[in-house]
Amino acid sequence: MKRLAAVVALLGLATATAACSGGTTNKSGGSGGGGGGLFTTIDVTRTGLEATAPANPYNPKGNAFVGFNAMRIGWVKNHLTDPNQALPGIAASWEIAPDNSSITLKLQPNAKWSDGKPVTAEDVKMSIGIAYTQGSTAFSITPGAAGAAADVTVVDPQTLKITQDMANPSPKFARGVLDTNVLPAHVWSSVLPADFWDKLKAARGDGADAEKAREEITALGEKVIAFAPPKDVSAGPFVLERVNPSEALLVKNPNFYNAANVAPAQVKFLNYTGNEQIWNYLTQGKLDQAGFTATPTDVMNRIKQAPGNEIIKGYSPVAVSMAFNQSKKPYDNVHVRRGLAYLINRDEVTKVASPEGGTPAVTTSGIHQKAAQAWIPETLPQLEPYKPDVAKAEKEFEQAGLTKKDGKWTLADGSAWKVSMHAPAGFSDWLSAQENIKTQLTKAGVDAEVVTTADYPLYLSELNAGKYDVGFWLMALGPAPYDIYQRLYGASNGWTNIGNKVTHAAPGKNGNWMGGPEEIEVDGAKINPGELTAKLNSVGDAEAKPIMAQLAKAANQDLPVIQLWDYVNTQFVNNNRFTGWPKDDELLRGGGNVLMAGVWIQQGLIKAKQ
Amino acid sequence: MSATLVPETASAASTMRRNFWRGVWRVMKRKPSRMAGVVILAGFILMAVVGPMLLPEHLPGDTSSITQPPSWEHWFGTDPQGRDVLALVVKGSRYVLLTAAVTALITVVAGTAIGLFSGFKRGRWDTVLMRLTDMKLTIPGLPLLLVLATVWQFGSPLQMGLVLGLLGWGGVARAVRSQTLSLRERGFIEAARGLGLSTSHIIGRELLPSMAPYIAMNMLISVTGAVYSQVGLFFLGVLPYESDNWGVMLNLAVFQAGAMVTPTALGYLLGPLLAILLLTLAIVLVVDAMDEIFNPRLREE
Repeated sequence: MKRLAAVVALLGLATATAACSGGTTNKSGGSGGGGGGLFTTIDVTRTGLEATAPANPYNPKGNAFVGFNAMRIGWVKNHLTDPNQALPGIAASWEIAPDNSSITLKLQPNAKWSDGKPVTAEDVKMSIGIAYTQGSTAFSITPGAAGAAADVTVVDPQTLKITQDMANPSPKFARGVLDTNVLPAHVWSSVLPADFWDKLKAARGDGADAEKAREEITALGEKVIAFAPPKDVSAGPFVLERVNPSEALLVKNPNFYNAANVAPAQVKFLNYTGNEQIWNYLTQGKLDQAGFTATPTDVMNRIKQAPGNEIIKGYSPVAVSMAFNQSKKPYDNVHVRRGLAYLINRDEVTKVASPEGGTPAVTTSGIHQKAAQAWIPETLPQLEPYKPDVAKAEKEFEQAGLTKKDGKWTLADGSAWKVSMHAPAGFSDWLSAQENIKTQLTKAGVDAEVVTTADYPLYLSELNAGKYDVGFWLMALGPAPYDIYQRLYGASNGWTNIGNKVTHAAPGKNGNWMGGPEEIEVDGAKINPGELTAKLNSVGDAEAKPIMAQLAKAANQDLPVIQLWDYVNTQFVNNNRFTGWPKDDELLRGGGNVLMAGVWIQQGLIKAKQ
Repeated sequence: MSATLVPETASAASTMRRNFWRGVWRVMKRKPSRMAGVVILAGFILMAVVGPMLLPEHLPGDTSSITQPPSWEHWFGTDPQGRDVLALVVKGSRYVLLTAAVTALITVVAGTAIGLFSGFKRGRWDTVLMRLTDMKLTIPGLPLLLVLATVWQFGSPLQMGLVLGLLGWGGVARAVRSQTLSLRERGFIEAARGLGLSTSHIIGRELLPSMAPYIAMNMLISVTGAVYSQVGLFFLGVLPYESDNWGVMLNLAVFQAGAMVTPTALGYLLGPLLAILLLTLAIVLVVDAMDEIFNPRLREE
């Protein structure tokens, strides 16, 4: 009897599973106006769907999928050198003043919210007000912040003009403006007080009143993050239908200005808790598209085998490096850093840690190798490549006063030396890299260990507090030249740039955990890399190039970090149901938490397979 | 009189001991699975003591053979650094077994002491100690460990064992107390009391030996608990990363090598998993044998 019950129960389970898998089967030609059926993807920018979270793009857990049911003014691209290039979003076109002093936006003439109301310049203005509460780059109330807007003027219901505060301008001001979420004023206006714009004006001044106004605006930020619209009102190609813990369903917004060219009728975001779940979806061919996910070679091979799957690789303006805390011995000595650079075989590190998502750094230049080709092609060959060379490493160590005892390198005073590398626990590629570096170093007689920290925010705060000797550090964050070099010669290395005035804090103070020298000798002349980096924030391309060449040389010889690998933007797509995937480097990756698949869909690039 | 008694007692004790070991051998022989349990357990202890000495301090990696499936050369394949999984398991066994041993020791010593004292003294002491034990038992172990792991880094197995032991004595204390309460009313204890023997004699020579099997079994069970807890904590990634730790290996097998997606990483997952399974199996088999050795009612002549 018991056995029979067990069999019945098992059968029941099997039917239940079949029903579940039936529910997730992805068929083209489903219901809906576009006729393209269901588009299945994941939100790579965050783990885990939160069914109760509001459709609010500022809420960290919010069910607003930027590009799908959340719109921006424009969709910034990843051009190698020009940070202001973008695809049209709510703004159909824009004009940037030659001196970057202003940007005039022309909105999409037919843009409508999903409830049928038109998208107006007032909506955009209110959205800019909300961006101020979050302290975005162009809309910052921090006194003296570079590239902040001065005025927002509604010219007519379709036109806005935003001017830059030219006291401390930035060449990427327009990028900051375009990269702003657009929200419906008729839903969100209660979030901002009626006198918001007066408060903003007051906040720009000096003294106690201004300080108070700034505090009030910052306090509004919390209100914005917590705001829950009663239902999703979207100007994007889709609108949120429902969310449960396993998936979020979006349906096509018939009022979207380019709805005729939006192929999918529905979009489903599958929930995941870790990379291994994404790998599972991909090997089963369930996803039409997924953004960059660190993947081991064997898993990648299985993903490639699934019918219809295709891997698109492109430029990603990020590199990872091994960064030193130069306040700690022996890392204060440049010869120690160079010695380590000669010992680490970057090809091997990349092969083990990021075979599919990275290319070994050609050298430490501070720039992604692709961007370096565009910015400093003449300087690149002059840089020391730090090819693995034990003899050179030993020579450097000897110059630093280290001694080798019983096959192990010790500090100048004879005490033991252990290279203690830190990484956040969940970053499997970083951990893998550090484990490989540990093996390489111990082989060469340098004792090493890998230490993990529970999560990334804690890792960053401990790194910032100067608790680590060596840690991994993202760098070369393009495309703007200032953004690239401020990772090496910015706040983390002591230089702050407020009100166009650069100040340097002593190592260990004001977030200066790198603790590098204030001046470095390059080509026989002393340079201040922090001041040069700050200069990049206000100069044009032509002037930026020689500065970047100098900074690349400084980084290359002084090695505040050892550049390990430059990331590759690996996108996973499936051609069974949809086609038209862009292969263009600039379109493969957007800014911040933008889900580019949504942008491709709304531009009409993605077509349903016939 | 006493002069004649002493040698008699000594010889009686040695005869008893002989009989005991003969009994052990008999019990072992009856079921070969019990022998297997003892052999496996001994093998693990040998592996933990000697294994790491035979292997280099840092295992060499081979980047041309990363995450390989099991082969003759590498019985459980290689990890994503190209290191032999079996060697990693052997190296990791020391931490696991040492932690388990420390946990067992603390669980048993603290649990038995508190249980015996509480059950034997009764009254106010009993009330206080048992309420303390109840409080301890209501605290869920794993969540507490997760919280503790954010404060302390359990780098050494002694620390880890100490914490697990201090969290685990509650059950043993309760069980020992109830045994004590039942035994202290028995005739032989009454007789010992009547003879005017000291409390320490009654507890040490009369009560404790009768409870020894019970305590020994609890100890072995707490060993399995300790293995699961620490492997679990490392698997969750809340404890410091050490590449040859079994829990870390399981974590990396799933989350870094993709053992759930690709069969090439299966060896990496199976290595530590089989080790844990075998260790648990050995303990279960030994507990089974112990049960019969110490429990006369189960003895089949």
